[in-house]
Amino acid sequence: MSPFWAVVKKELTSVIRDRTIIISLLIQLFIASFSSALLLGMLSLYDSDTIMRFSGAGIKIGMVGESQLSAFVRQRGLTVVPFDSLEEAEAVFFQNGVSAIFVIPEGIADTTEIKLYLPDNEAVSSIIRMVVQEPLKQFENYLREQNGIEVRYEDLKGKPSTSFEFIYSVLLPMLMFFPAFVSGSMSVDSLTEEVENNTLQTLLSAPLSLNAMILAKITSSVIIAILQCMAWLSLLRLNGIAFENTGWILLLALIVAGITSTAAVLGAVLLKDRERSQFIYSLSLLAATAISTLLNASPITTMSRLAVGDSYTSGWNVAVFAVFLAGLYLLLWKTSRRLAG
Amino acid sequence: MNQILVIAWREITRLRKRFGGGASPVAVLLLMGAVGLSAFALRDTVSLGSGLYRVGVSGDVPVIEDSRFSVMEVEADGGRALLDSKSIDVWIDGAEVISRPDDKSQYAVRALKQYMEKAELIRVGNSFAEEDAFPLRVGINYLNPYQPPAENQQEGGETVAPVTKPEEVIIPSLTPPPAPFTQVLVALIYILPITFISIFFTSSFMDEKVNRRLTILLSSPITPFQIILGKMLPYAVFSLATTALIAVLTKGDVALALAIFAPTTMFIFAIYLMVPLFYRTFKDTTFIAMLVTTLTTAYLVFPAMFTNVNDLAYISPLALAVKMYRNEPFGWREYLFPSVPMSAIFGFAMFAGTRLLNEEFLMGYKPITRKAADAIYLMMAHAHPYLSVPLWSLLVIPIVYLTQVVFLAFATNLPVGLILGAVLIASAFIEEAVKSVGIVVLAERKVVTRFRDILLLSALSALGFLVGEKLLLLISITVVSQASVSSALFGSGLLLLIPLAAHFIFTAIVSLLAAKTKMPYMLALVIGTVAHFIYNWTLMGGGL
Repeated sequence: MSPFWAVVKKELTSVIRDRTIIISLLIQLFIASFSSALLLGMLSLYDSDTIMRFSGAGIKIGMVGESQLSAFVRQRGLTVVPFDSLEEAEAVFFQNGVSAIFVIPEGIADTTEIKLYLPDNEAVSSIIRMVVQEPLKQFENYLREQNGIEVRYEDLKGKPSTSFEFIYSVLLPMLMFFPAFVSGSMSVDSLTEEVENNTLQTLLSAPLSLNAMILAKITSSVIIAILQCMAWLSLLRLNGIAFENTGWILLLALIVAGITSTAAVLGAVLLKDRERSQFIYSLSLLAATAISTLLNASPITTMSRLAVGDSYTSGWNVAVFAVFLAGLYLLLWKTSRRLAG
Repeated sequence: MNQILVIAWREITRLRKRFGGGASPVAVLLLMGAVGLSAFALRDTVSLGSGLYRVGVSGDVPVIEDSRFSVMEVEADGGRALLDSKSIDVWIDGAEVISRPDDKSQYAVRALKQYMEKAELIRVGNSFAEEDAFPLRVGINYLNPYQPPAENQQEGGETVAPVTKPEEVIIPSLTPPPAPFTQVLVALIYILPITFISIFFTSSFMDEKVNRRLTILLSSPITPFQIILGKMLPYAVFSLATTALIAVLTKGDVALALAIFAPTTMFIFAIYLMVPLFYRTFKDTTFIAMLVTTLTTAYLVFPAMFTNVNDLAYISPLALAVKMYRNEPFGWREYLFPSVPMSAIFGFAMFAGTRLLNEEFLMGYKPITRKAADAIYLMMAHAHPYLSVPLWSLLVIPIVYLTQVVFLAFATNLPVGLILGAVLIASAFIEEAVKSVGIVVLAERKVVTRFRDILLLSALSALGFLVGEKLLLLISITVVSQASVSSALFGSGLLLLIPLAAHFIFTAIVSLLAAKTKMPYMLALVIGTVAHFIYNWTLMGGGL
């Protein structure tokens, strides 16, 4: 075995032996499942479509007075109970017959002030306010039309898109790029440990150049990252989440892992101690994310687009990042001798 | 006190040296640049789904400025073809929106609906008189559903019930239903710097441990307590200063923010104190710190999302911060509910830290389970097992409590039918573990050997646990009026003797199996857990 691969193998076995990788996997699994749970919980409390699906018809709304609003509330899937007066409606309300009461005054003027009576219980009242929001908006648009104001695009429907957007723009990029982030962090530890334990000189006495040794460290952390990405992709597939361009997605994840590791090592070469290198590494990652978003060349967006099969995104978009990686590595190649000196 | 300040000053000097000189300007520039840029870049990309949809427009269409959409001009006759070839997801031709029936296109339509609603509101609001553009007012009143105006109704005269709050008048299209998203995000801003600063604390501790400066310090006439407190002081002061600064910048109440986040700061520092005590290499520390960060953030953020929806939200102090930003009052009980367990954990961690801060423990290289056993042994004042075992069971209750909440968050991933069962099993497991671990550790070191002693210790441990449990139950019941989950977790048996007997039996089973039959502790624990779970399950079945 060449000395290069010997170093790679040493790095890989040390990662497996330390069981740090298990913790890393645990973190990712936790973040993924936690954020999904959070989204699901939020949707079931704050998304009227989800509330309607689970408990829509069970919500009864009392209606005093006649207006177009009744029709809109029914359209939403809620049950409307008409009353003649607020007193009657309240009697039923206190027997739990209706959950809320609308009072529409006689004769609709230019500005209509209607009343809504809700139970003084934040959990129930916020759910009701959520589900009557859409009918109220429709009623408002109806009144606008009466005033001669036309509101465009008001009849759009579509399907609730939150889960779709979450999976492709948050969950998938996070699972693909978090291993890259960890890889960089591991490269810093691995290199600064050699420096701080004074084992670097020993390592260099092997028939291996400094640059080859550094490349071996980067390679091993990229290998670890890409293995994790593969595992996450299969897990997503098992959960029935479909995505396209699997090959490009993996290549992009690999390149980004290369970029973070190279950048992390570059920082470690310049600073030589762990504490500062990790600090600078985290900060530059934050800055890089912001800059790439600003320049409209964010790998996160590219990843989402690849996964949903966007027809204007292809291997060329991935190639941009490869060029950047090459440049960054060249920089490291030129500066690495500062480590030995 | 003086010595604590000396250590604190030494810590500041160390930090100054570390970040002084060459790296400092670079770091400060990077920090400011990174924060500024992220704030700028992410200011309007908080929505999900950046860049997911392609929209083709032709004719008179309002400008679409939303990070979710990539907009391109298309010819009026070419739009249909582009849509059919899936090059675009939606085609807007003037006032008409054309889509495909497949999911992706329909998602795009819904996203577009959300955007257009807002855009149209702005247009309508700018070009028409206000009363025409916003013709609807809704006056919202609240009625107390549990107190019907009884007397008048019985007499037949119908009267309108009194409302409980002053009327709130809203314009539906301008007033979204209440959701604590934004306030939770603001509240999260407080947590991030605290976590960041405490990572430095961990890092410094780790560094001094590795280069053996801690050993030198320990041989000087300074107590471990003074060392920990002194090293923690600068970071804690810095954290609180940041909290005050954030409160000023976000126009919050500074004193209130400090009161809310001081226990949180202590809690986070407590956890980060444990990391360098137990782990030896930097790599471990990096990962454990990451794990701890995600877990604590999740623990703090998750409940706060449900502020005002469920009273259980108060287990997170962020819920209090959300209240603060909404100018809603909260009482002492709401404040103490999250703060007492967090402060208790801090106290516990300080105690553990002073016990564990000795060279043998710090430098010993052992698997983590052995290390934990050593730690528990050191914490138990092993000369008085009859006092330390029940005390241990009593003191770890807040930790058990917080762990069970984290379990609950995990369990929400499961299908609905399994959630309760999974939470019950996990709670039983953690309860059995904390009650028996002290006894098992003591038995292993031959501090207790006799059958009778183990039985007695089990009884004491069960008693200590029960007392703590009921105390906590008392606090939570007064705050959490509707949280049936909490009472399910902590049991609500009216007779105290039955749960005491049950706790005793399960603890005795685990301790005796592990200590006397040489069965692996894990296996004994599983057996105890199963028994405990069956007991809980039947109790709940009877209660339902």
